[in-house]
Amino acid sequence: MATATAQALRVMKVSGNSRSVEEARARVFDFFKLACRSLPAVMDIYNLDDVVTKSQLRSAITSQIRKNSHITNAKVIDMLLFKGMEELGNIVEHHKQRHHIIGQYILGKDGTLHDSSIKDPGTSDFLKNFYSGNYF
Amino acid sequence: MGLGLLASRLIRPQKTAARNLLLRSIVTKPELQSAEPATTPQPDLPPRTPLAGARVHFPNPDDAIEVFVDGYPVKIPKGMTVLQACEVAGVDIPRFCYHSRLSIAGNCRMCLVEVEKSPKPVASCAMPALPGMKIKTDTPVAKKAREGVMEFLLMNHPLDCPICDQGGECDLQDQSMAFGSDRGRFTEVKRSVVDKNLGPLVKTVMTRCIQCTRCVRFATEVAGVQDLGMLGRGSGEEIGTYVEKLMTSELSGNVIDICPVGALTSKPFAFKARNWELKGTETIDVTDAVGSNIRIDSRGPEVMRITPRLNEDINEEWISDKTRFCYDGLKRQRLNDPMIRGADGRFKAVSWHDVLAVVAEIAHQVKPEEMVGIAGKLSDAESMMALKDFLNKMGSNNVWCEGNGPSPNADLRSGYIMNTGINGLENADVFLLVGTQPRVEAAMVNARIRKTVRGSNAKVAYVGPPTEFNYDCEHLGTGPETLTEIAEGRHSFCSTLSNAKNPAIIVGAGLFERSDKDAIFSAVEAIAKNGNVVRPDWNGFNVLLLNAAQAAALDLGLVPESSQSIESAKFVYLMGADDVDLEKLPNDAFVVYQGHHGDRGVYRANVVLPASAFSEKEGTYENTEGCTQQTLPAVPTVGDARDDWKIIRALSEVAGVKLPYDTVGAIRSRIKTVAPNLLSVEEREPATFWASLKPDATQKVSSTPFKVAIENFYMTDSITRASKIMAQCSALLLKK
Repeated sequence: MATATAQALRVMKVSGNSRSVEEARARVFDFFKLACRSLPAVMDIYNLDDVVTKSQLRSAITSQIRKNSHITNAKVIDMLLFKGMEELGNIVEHHKQRHHIIGQYILGKDGTLHDSSIKDPGTSDFLKNFYSGNYF
Repeated sequence: MGLGLLASRLIRPQKTAARNLLLRSIVTKPELQSAEPATTPQPDLPPRTPLAGARVHFPNPDDAIEVFVDGYPVKIPKGMTVLQACEVAGVDIPRFCYHSRLSIAGNCRMCLVEVEKSPKPVASCAMPALPGMKIKTDTPVAKKAREGVMEFLLMNHPLDCPICDQGGECDLQDQSMAFGSDRGRFTEVKRSVVDKNLGPLVKTVMTRCIQCTRCVRFATEVAGVQDLGMLGRGSGEEIGTYVEKLMTSELSGNVIDICPVGALTSKPFAFKARNWELKGTETIDVTDAVGSNIRIDSRGPEVMRITPRLNEDINEEWISDKTRFCYDGLKRQRLNDPMIRGADGRFKAVSWHDVLAVVAEIAHQVKPEEMVGIAGKLSDAESMMALKDFLNKMGSNNVWCEGNGPSPNADLRSGYIMNTGINGLENADVFLLVGTQPRVEAAMVNARIRKTVRGSNAKVAYVGPPTEFNYDCEHLGTGPETLTEIAEGRHSFCSTLSNAKNPAIIVGAGLFERSDKDAIFSAVEAIAKNGNVVRPDWNGFNVLLLNAAQAAALDLGLVPESSQSIESAKFVYLMGADDVDLEKLPNDAFVVYQGHHGDRGVYRANVVLPASAFSEKEGTYENTEGCTQQTLPAVPTVGDARDDWKIIRALSEVAGVKLPYDTVGAIRSRIKTVAPNLLSVEEREPATFWASLKPDATQKVSSTPFKVAIENFYMTDSITRASKIMAQCSALLLKK
């Protein structure tokens, strides 16, 4: 299964520039679907069944994509897509280790990703830094 | 090839080897074979700067004499030794037994130099420099003498540098590299000496001892304990305690530093690290109010050891055992997560976001006058400023620092600092100690008093509970009534005091807790007035504080609005305060403990906020003589802990009373508006006004005798109470 997805990735990788934002958008959806399809293999390779569910990983991918939702330049989207593809390829081909996946996509940068952390709009930079660590 | 040729080939190298052997038995290095006294004058050398920036003080300009060191003329005051003259000239003479703060023994002979017209090399540490003396430090005679001494020393010194803790910072190692021969001629068995048990702090490997007697002289002269001594003669000579006895001095750790070899090393540090893998951070000590200058040696996140740093005005080059060995307390009992006490009485770790929200909510539920903030004895000035500002913004003014008593005098700075200065105590000729045991309260101040007593035969008298002093001391009485007698001129000590040129009175900060504190202080001020203790050229009125935070707290005006605030408190903010009496606190009061150790304060706390210890933060402290100093972070903070002032700043924002500073620089400019002296670091700021401005006290002295302020020298604060070494010390060394 893993090899099949890798094959699909290799086919997918060759792509020219998007001519419009619409085309780029369509490619993002293709990429998302491809990533979702590779999730069972990823769970399998990295033994993730006991730490995370597929739907959680899907939402992790979604949040990564949503992070760049404000971008309107097709060239930038293409570049980000390329990076995403690169990352997906690395994951599927087992170029990463288990703790990379857990650290990047399951726990997130500071502690839990699902914490959705502190969303007080009024907090100052000082307080945000204070919550994240002592050295600032 | 003939047989004879072969034979001669075989024989020839043997012959040369035999000749070499013969030479070796006479002298070790060929160039030292003809070590004739040098007669030719040395060529002019470029001027050299004195060693370590040493400055020469001429007490009497007429007494200056001129000597020549390696042909270079230097002017020195009369009475200096040859070795000191060489130091002024910028020549470092190798030495083992000589130590500038101890008496001269002259028994290691390492400092031999050649002096013109002297038949033999002279021991420069013991020889007074004479006018016109021509000293030569770099001649074949001097070199040969050093090499010979090194060879004798190494004869009985074990070759165990690889397993020796002194390795890398060993005088013997360094000097044998520089001055020793590259081979020895000793073939017999080395002597071995039985190790001595000097207690839980000093490890002894007596076989390594080179009998320099520095430790013996330190113990008798500086520490004032007659524990160590020299036994036996010749090769049977050894350092020991005569009878099986522990070294019971509060300064015993300093023998580790002065030992030039690895005979006396630190027991807690044994085999823990090599000195070259340690990172040194120059900071100050906070376990007492002296603020000794220290270097924290750390490896990664761990403090490995603490060593003294030279500061002539405060601790010279010694530190107390508590300062030196408290560091293992920094690893135990640490608070590393914010915690809230649940309904079952157990603490549960929560995030900073949640814990600050809880504290802020409860702080708003109580009335402002029911809020109390208490700074601990290890608090830095920045966090105390933040605590006071936070509580003031919340509407409360019940904020103080533990140890300062219910009604501290923060108005006149001369009433709570050491006006003479620690260094200035050396000029005093009569000491009156009131309710203080400097030996346990501030060991370095006590060492300074002892130095004065030894140096100028100053008289010491004390009023207080019978105490053991390590110098001659007269016990005048136990309670305030003796004080009134002296103040009214009815005591025999009055004549001593009035005949003294520079009398000094030292009042212990333990008296701050007494209810008749004002009356006692006015009695002391009366004594000071009668004895002419405070003059324009001499201020002999001193208060010896107990804790590192006290002076800065009083400078910042941490004075409670009412002395009964604990009884009616509903919200108590303990910033590292562990020794506050919370017995009278109502049961429904909410207690926040912010600190670095799970100590006494945590037992009553509802919420715990982990903070950083003095080794982990940058903080300003003021010592008992009014000298401002700063700590520097040596190791990272533990777990999820934060710096003290940051916690209060964050809490203030969550509570909706945001404090206007985000950086240490900003909080310091806030301090500048309150106490500008806390910004001039490493400077002693003397008090401006004398207590005569104070209104007369209406209180009457009570007859309760003075109490002992510190029961256990080794365990006074949360760090030392968490330390295993300090626990061992108090079990073994304190007299029961």
